[in-house]
Amino acid sequence: MANVFFSTWQGELIDNRNKKEDELQASAFSLPENYTSDKSSKAFIGWDGVALFDKDVDVVRLAMEYAAQYQIYSEACGRCTPGRWGGRILYDLLDKIARGEGSHDDIAHLKEVSSTMMITSKCEIGKTVPKPILDLMEHFAADFNDLIDNQKASRHYNEEINYIAKVTAPCTDMCPSHVDIPAYIEGVRDMQFSESLGATRQTMPLAHTCGRVCPHPCEDACRRANLDSPISIMELKRLGADYETDHGLPWQHPFEPKEPKNDGKKVAIIGAGPAGLTAAYYLALEGIQVDIFEELPVLGGEVAVGVPQYRMPIEKYNKDIVLVTSMPTVNVITNHRVDAARLKEIDSEYDATLLAFGTRLSKKIGAANEKMDMGGYWGAIAMLDKVNLWHKYSTGSPASNELKDKVVVCVGGGFTSMDVVRCSIREGASRVVMLYRRDEKTIIGNTTYEEYHEAVEEGVEFIFHSAIEEIFDDGKNITKLKINQYELVPDPNGGRAQLVKREDGDFEMECDYLIPAVSQSADLQLLPAEWELALTSWETLLTNGKDYMTSRPGLFAAGDCEYGPMTIVNAVGQAKRAASVISKYIYDGKVSLSDDEIMEDHLKKLKVYNKKEKITGWMPGLPRVVSQKLEVDERKDNNKEVNMGFTGEEAVDEAQRCMRCYYISMVAV
Amino acid sequence: MSIQRQEKKPVTITIDGKECMGSQGETILKIARANGIYIPTMCYLSKVEPIASCRMCVVEVEGVEGMILSCQEKAVDGAVVKTSSKDLYTQRQNIMKLYNVNHPLECGVCDKSGECDLQNKTLEFGISQQSFTTRESHKKVENWGYVSYDPALCIMCEKCVRVSNEITGNEALSISVGGYKSTIVNSKNFTCASLGESAAVCPVGALVNSDFKYTSNAWELKRIPASCAHCSSVCSLNYEVKNDKIYRVTNNFEFSSLCGAGRFGFDFENRNAVKDFEIFREAVSAFKRADTVRFSAVITNEEALILQKLKDKYKYKLVCDEAYGYQQFLKAYGSITGETLYSGDLNSIKESSAVIVFGSRINDDNPMVKYHITMASKRNRARVAYLHPIEDSNIGNIVTQFIKYEAGSEEGVAALLANTLLSSREISPELKSFLDNLDIGNLSAESSVGEEELTALLKSIDKKDRLTFVVGNDIYNHPRAKEIAKLLGAIDKYSDFSFVIVPPATNALGVSLICSLDEKAEGYTVGFNSKGNFELSSLGGGDMDMPALNQQEGTLTNIDKRVVPTNVALNYNGYVLNDIANELGLNAEYTIDYTSDLPVKSGFRSEVFDDLPSYFDNSGFEHRGYLLTSKSMKAAQGFDDIEELPTFDGAIVYNCNENINMNIFTNVTKAFKSDVVYLKGSPQFANIVKLKDGEEIIFSANGTKYKRVFKIDESMKGTIALNPTFDMDLHASLNSSYRFSHLNREQ
Repeated sequence: MANVFFSTWQGELIDNRNKKEDELQASAFSLPENYTSDKSSKAFIGWDGVALFDKDVDVVRLAMEYAAQYQIYSEACGRCTPGRWGGRILYDLLDKIARGEGSHDDIAHLKEVSSTMMITSKCEIGKTVPKPILDLMEHFAADFNDLIDNQKASRHYNEEINYIAKVTAPCTDMCPSHVDIPAYIEGVRDMQFSESLGATRQTMPLAHTCGRVCPHPCEDACRRANLDSPISIMELKRLGADYETDHGLPWQHPFEPKEPKNDGKKVAIIGAGPAGLTAAYYLALEGIQVDIFEELPVLGGEVAVGVPQYRMPIEKYNKDIVLVTSMPTVNVITNHRVDAARLKEIDSEYDATLLAFGTRLSKKIGAANEKMDMGGYWGAIAMLDKVNLWHKYSTGSPASNELKDKVVVCVGGGFTSMDVVRCSIREGASRVVMLYRRDEKTIIGNTTYEEYHEAVEEGVEFIFHSAIEEIFDDGKNITKLKINQYELVPDPNGGRAQLVKREDGDFEMECDYLIPAVSQSADLQLLPAEWELALTSWETLLTNGKDYMTSRPGLFAAGDCEYGPMTIVNAVGQAKRAASVISKYIYDGKVSLSDDEIMEDHLKKLKVYNKKEKITGWMPGLPRVVSQKLEVDERKDNNKEVNMGFTGEEAVDEAQRCMRCYYISMVAV
Repeated sequence: MSIQRQEKKPVTITIDGKECMGSQGETILKIARANGIYIPTMCYLSKVEPIASCRMCVVEVEGVEGMILSCQEKAVDGAVVKTSSKDLYTQRQNIMKLYNVNHPLECGVCDKSGECDLQNKTLEFGISQQSFTTRESHKKVENWGYVSYDPALCIMCEKCVRVSNEITGNEALSISVGGYKSTIVNSKNFTCASLGESAAVCPVGALVNSDFKYTSNAWELKRIPASCAHCSSVCSLNYEVKNDKIYRVTNNFEFSSLCGAGRFGFDFENRNAVKDFEIFREAVSAFKRADTVRFSAVITNEEALILQKLKDKYKYKLVCDEAYGYQQFLKAYGSITGETLYSGDLNSIKESSAVIVFGSRINDDNPMVKYHITMASKRNRARVAYLHPIEDSNIGNIVTQFIKYEAGSEEGVAALLANTLLSSREISPELKSFLDNLDIGNLSAESSVGEEELTALLKSIDKKDRLTFVVGNDIYNHPRAKEIAKLLGAIDKYSDFSFVIVPPATNALGVSLICSLDEKAEGYTVGFNSKGNFELSSLGGGDMDMPALNQQEGTLTNIDKRVVPTNVALNYNGYVLNDIANELGLNAEYTIDYTSDLPVKSGFRSEVFDDLPSYFDNSGFEHRGYLLTSKSMKAAQGFDDIEELPTFDGAIVYNCNENINMNIFTNVTKAFKSDVVYLKGSPQFANIVKLKDGEEIIFSANGTKYKRVFKIDESMKGTIALNPTFDMDLHASLNSSYRFSHLNREQ
């Protein structure tokens, strides 16, 4: 809801121009009526309409400035005829009218050019830019005619007004890291793989990783789904990264890294997982000195010691890691556990500190007789540590020593539990069971279709709607489990269906290893108690989710230790933002966001993706390309990467399905 | 959603009422064109992936709202497509109006005038006036060596960039994006001649050949379809001629490409030949008394056949240094595979998902092979393993694994490759016992090809379905060439690799199949573009003139095992070989009378020259001459033990021409003629030979004496220098020797 004076946003037509106080209508959309808490907006104009918050807005100039922003945006495009020439003409003609030199022919020309842009432009940006301009020309025709008939400049033509524009796309908006997805897909389409990688690395340094193991929330906001099926966004990210690695090319940075500042300012990062690495990378691109403190002997955090080799080969992840550690101002200290005392030292030595230590404590499942020290009770994090340290770093001993020919039961439903069961298969367990409280559809929603499907193929037994009531042991080791089964009972009042225990559903199951993978929590022992840091109700560090500063000035937090156990891409997005805030904070002591970041948050609130939108101008029925996977027999007893990735032909075919849904929006402040 | 890969099914769509067949994955435009249906485009180029910048190709599809981009959108079975309507016409016309915004009105002097897509489409869509203008900024004309670029004329179709990235792989050109200010940029200021391929596809006069600029109107030139004479790819091209002078070379750039040498090295004709009857009589008697006729493989199939027929009659030795080693190699190779010809061609390289290149500095030896590897690299993400003693920085962007071996160790490398690539294959007992007896550790140490490199190679081709193995020029004159041929033949026979055995000179394959060659010349020798007591020369300067390949008609046999016709572009006033042959008792009115007489037993067909087609059809299929038929031959199984690998210590020279100046014929052209010939080596080479950059050096290698100016190439490593031979026309040892040799410096 927003208070507007006029709006055509997403087809609504609210016109409060001649209405009385009690007849005023509000917009149904979360339009940015206030730019920041202390600054209100005059107007918002974008791909799906225009909203005026203020009576006094100069609509002709607003239209002209929007076309001008498109011209500025086109600094990064101009690659189709209607966009390249049409955009320029829109701007030239609107400016002509706004400065008082226009004619009625110009209006006709504007409409003609707009029509061609809307029908034939390559990107959605070219197709949508004319929309709000035409809206203004229609609903404020008198204002346009007045300027033409009287050959006068629009009323605020020469005043200084702040117009802030932002280009986004539904996928980019949905991606927690706000990756410029259409750009990296275009790089693949053009077979300019280095450019593709450069586009990814603007906001996402872990291109190998998030080209493999990202749960791709972006694909749920892909407009192509409105037509047939979403683009395989995640896998297309691999192409650029693999190209760089395969050809041994020098690092493709998003821009030439700045010279080390060597000005004595330095930032400490606690934890070398995705969040820590990301923050280090973007700080280092600015030439800022960064020290990363890592408890483990290896870098990479949970993705290194948690995500299995068959899903995320360490050679590839190491490329992402070395991208960061090879930056001249990044310094890494491994085997260095930071405790409360040490954190206090670091906090006083460094200009800012970013906590990025993740959530590495496995939560209990809450069954009767659950004792963490009973034989066969093995937390998912510890189990995966063991598996991965052995296979990736030849450290420790193989987990098959424990798991071979054993019955393994995992309780979970998320990615970690999938890793547990699929690793257990690979370690030679005789039977692997996944117990999950909800149904198949939910587990696919929590993970991915591929992940679930592949686990089933490899022989994991999934028992849905089930939970452990009690664990039995022989005094030393787990022997069996008592399991309850539930059913989903629809709410007669139309509410959410309830899980209800089935009276006849209890059964017992033999079990050698019980691996809880229900969730993880942050290890908060390292936070000095006297700092009294504000925490969330789920025991993670509290920030405002925008600048990522904790309740203690100069102490920031990003990734799972801030959000709770979540995705790599979420950690990356938070850390990128935190790095941006820190890079200013260490110089001016202020916590501030850039216009781009403010707009990013506004658009997120407004929602860029519109599930109901009808797509025109694209041929429906072209199936999403699916990459080849190793056959079950080729993969289930080893750690070979399961997903072979797209062939070149498949990648280009898939990239050509992308509709390049760039949108431009602009706020007048 | 399915996990398994979907097979390509046939699709049927209806375009403008006509039922058209295609296969899944083909675009609407492609199917339309294959069916002879016209859809206007400005940016579409068949040989690259769709660019989609012009938006002219929009069509309507029944039941689909909006206009559909036919160049990029794939056909969906059952779709009903309309390629023209009032609305489509309006939008296309509007696009043409936009293209014409501020386009400079300099058609009167523009090189492209008369063959300009912008002119043609402006006319087609009836744009009689410029309805829009905009503020224009000054855009400077850029000179990039062989081509120059005028951004004011550029319509940003991006074809040139695509070619540079996808085909030639020089990656020189890119787009500087800036909305209306967008231009094409050459940020590293490349001046290589392969930029000519980018200029060839320019639809307007923006990117043009510098040398051709302002020399002729396009419509004054006569187009002679011919075949390129410079290397064994024998690409199809047109010589464009006026007043008995070639002004430029063009080609069917929609479906084929040329290299810089083919594009710009066209004026190698033997200009001043006259008929001198006295000399003609001397030539006839020279043939009569000849103990040997020695010739170069830059010769037509028909001429080769004449020489062979004369050999049959006069029993002289017939020597072709360029082709002999190759002929022997093919025989030894065939003794294992049981086939006279190798299995692959340029297209199989392009379609590959993994390519191994062995024994060739391929970017210089055969640019067209390199282009096809580039296409495989870009489109198929092909793994490209490049095995050679010298790393080549020019192909760093396509090579995924460089395996350096010691010069001379090719036999060992071939054995290691056979052992690696056939490790899990069903092979003959003879081969198995041969491979089992290899001393891998020793071979590995001697050749410096590590076992881990071979393991990585094997891993990288795992699961790849289309594999091609390219064999090059280093091997054919190796002392152990036959043994290497057998090992490679075994890989061909027992693995999924298709092989391309790159012919070392223009018509080396044709000569090997037509002539029964002798190894060594002896006695009184007639040289045909080669050294001899009596010399026939297409370059002039011999005892008697012969026509160059741009003054001749006849056929050539190319790397694709295709027999292709070439035609006369320029007049020639002297005698030809056929005149001599007629005097010696053969009887043919024209040289091309021999075309139908080419040996069928070697795979040729009895086709009459004038019946040979030379075009690409709408779908891009090449209809040019005909393909040779591979013949079965008796297969043997024996493998010889590996000899101790020869070693080269100290400074080594590698005979290698750069890819523009390929041979004696390119070295007389205006574009490439060089007075100074450079020996190029690394700083390390400079150090051991104690040479400074720019210093002159005289040395001998394999008994040939060279005078060169030394140039340090910072991109090179190691102790092997590149020694061009394009100025060494008549030295036989050059073409029959192993390409690596010790450098013996003479003071």
